[in-house]
Amino acid sequence: MEKQSGITKETLLNLKEKLKAGVLPQWVLADRDMYDLEIKQVFGRTWQFLAHESELKEPGSYVTRWIANDPILLTKTKSGEIKAFLNSCTHRGTLLCTADSGKQKSFTCPFHGWTYNNEGDLVGIAVGNKVYGEEMNKEDWNLRPVPNVDSYQGMIFGNLDHKAESLSDYLGNMKWYLDMMLGRSDGGMEVQGSPQRYVVEANWKVTAENFESDPYHVQFTHKSSKELGIAPNDPFFPGHGHQVVLDNGHGINLVQLDDTGISPIPYQGMPESMWPMFQKNLNKEQNDMVKDTFFVGGVYPNLGFLQFTFPLLDSDNGFYNFLNFRVWRPLAPDKVEVWSWHLIDKDAPQEYKEKSYVSFLSTFGPSGLLEQDDAEIWSRVTQASNGIMAQDKDLSYNSFLNYLMGMDRVQPNEDFPGPGVAYPLCFLDTLSRSMHKRWIDLLLAETPVKEEVR
Amino acid sequence: MKQQEAVKALTISYEVQNEITQFLYREAHLLDSRNYRGWLDLLAEDIVYQMPARITTEGKHDTPNIDYKSRYFEETKQSLLTRVKRLDSTSSAWAEISGPRQRHFISNVFIEKGVMNEGGNEEYFVRSNFLFKRNRGSALTSEELFGAREDVIRKENGEWKLASRIIYPDQTVLGTINLSMFL
Repeated sequence: MEKQSGITKETLLNLKEKLKAGVLPQWVLADRDMYDLEIKQVFGRTWQFLAHESELKEPGSYVTRWIANDPILLTKTKSGEIKAFLNSCTHRGTLLCTADSGKQKSFTCPFHGWTYNNEGDLVGIAVGNKVYGEEMNKEDWNLRPVPNVDSYQGMIFGNLDHKAESLSDYLGNMKWYLDMMLGRSDGGMEVQGSPQRYVVEANWKVTAENFESDPYHVQFTHKSSKELGIAPNDPFFPGHGHQVVLDNGHGINLVQLDDTGISPIPYQGMPESMWPMFQKNLNKEQNDMVKDTFFVGGVYPNLGFLQFTFPLLDSDNGFYNFLNFRVWRPLAPDKVEVWSWHLIDKDAPQEYKEKSYVSFLSTFGPSGLLEQDDAEIWSRVTQASNGIMAQDKDLSYNSFLNYLMGMDRVQPNEDFPGPGVAYPLCFLDTLSRSMHKRWIDLLLAETPVKEEVR
Repeated sequence: MKQQEAVKALTISYEVQNEITQFLYREAHLLDSRNYRGWLDLLAEDIVYQMPARITTEGKHDTPNIDYKSRYFEETKQSLLTRVKRLDSTSSAWAEISGPRQRHFISNVFIEKGVMNEGGNEEYFVRSNFLFKRNRGSALTSEELFGAREDVIRKENGEWKLASRIIYPDQTVLGTINLSMFL
């Protein structure tokens, strides 16, 4: 069998069989070889969220980001085009821009003084003519571009795979739901401030799954929020609604607050003055979903989202809606850096935007009353996954994780009005199984032979 | 910074310096010993409690690097009470079950100025540094956060109260898995 960095093809095929049976061996959450393979096969070949358009307001704006271990410099050029480069000087490899964000026309490497403009062109070499003469063609030494950069509904993505499918094809039927979340207002969405960043001792698959496909954890992990009345105090919340399995491992849960199908908080608590605009921008099916459900899901592999509504911690009246996007950046098998953005409709009243932000801080992000407990529990999975029993690849201790919820029991709702395969409840492992199937398929995918390398 | 309209500047006596330093140490003790109800009693009813984000910026060494639009806390007394209620009146605040051991090391207490506000209360603008350390379970490593605080400490009916606190973390990527503590 062909060896793939310590993990054989046979190992992967066995994993695939286990997944078909509804279980996932625990060792994959903490194994170094598996992690290294994932960095190449998953993060090197999927579309990775880099920034929202509103973070790059004007020509010259830039942000620095990461695709796993690759530092990325994302710029807005004079003509307003978004470009992404490896944030590394082409001369000797130095990290070029160390700031998180800013605005400037050019970037100078502090090592030997090579300078690039925000189109990535090498525009200055210190004492260049004297030392390199005319022989060296500067254009050969421009910043190395991320091979694919594209955006959808204001969300900018990059993909390191030279042979990647288009972003549009990659997102597939997820686009219909992104339209619903991001396209409901004339002015689109905007990000407030820099993303929150913090590190949790957890495997990226645990955190990604937690957001995209596991509403089941809410009823117990977040029980304190139910006890406080921040979340509905119904033991089945957030089980009501639909879990929708989408293309390429993506998915969304359309959560209902109760079993009536009619939300007591129409349009997710957005100001009534904005409802006609939503109705205008959305088709009937999307409009019904925004009116009566809340969204939690993910773009595979590591972009989670939540469009929800909570009361503020200091008042009983008013529910405030926000959209939270988060990237789970893998740092190690047991370490993930969370990047978390708050988004709200650009057209919302200023006062509502501020309350929306406070509602977000109260519930999500590291200080959020819900997410505080998430982080604690994700790290506990890591703590219990490193031993001989959990790490046993022969599976002689039955160290499997259970993904059997709803398997062969719950049938899709054929009358569901949106794209994808929709199941009529959210307490379900169907989407998790779809995510992990995508994962194993990516790991098994043959690395294309490079045609020619200079 | 939230501070009521100043009427006149006050000199900062040794006595005030001592009382305010003791106030901050007492506050740290209440937090470390998890007497959160006692801690809430130290907060003025109109307290402003914020933690903006630190970012890395371009430019010279002293370029401002706080992003006030991005925050980790934006609290009122009532919302802080809700956070405390979660810990002592629900059964499932997992982040704090059982409570990690925590220490607030408060230093560099510097009273920058004092004023008599319109309501006739003394208010002092106080800077301090904090180092927060936390250890969970049997972890061999400890989490930490550090940075600066800008406080307004007010005398109300003869008692010192915290009227405003802005927490400036020095880490752009936080060094704790959550912010289930108070700083």
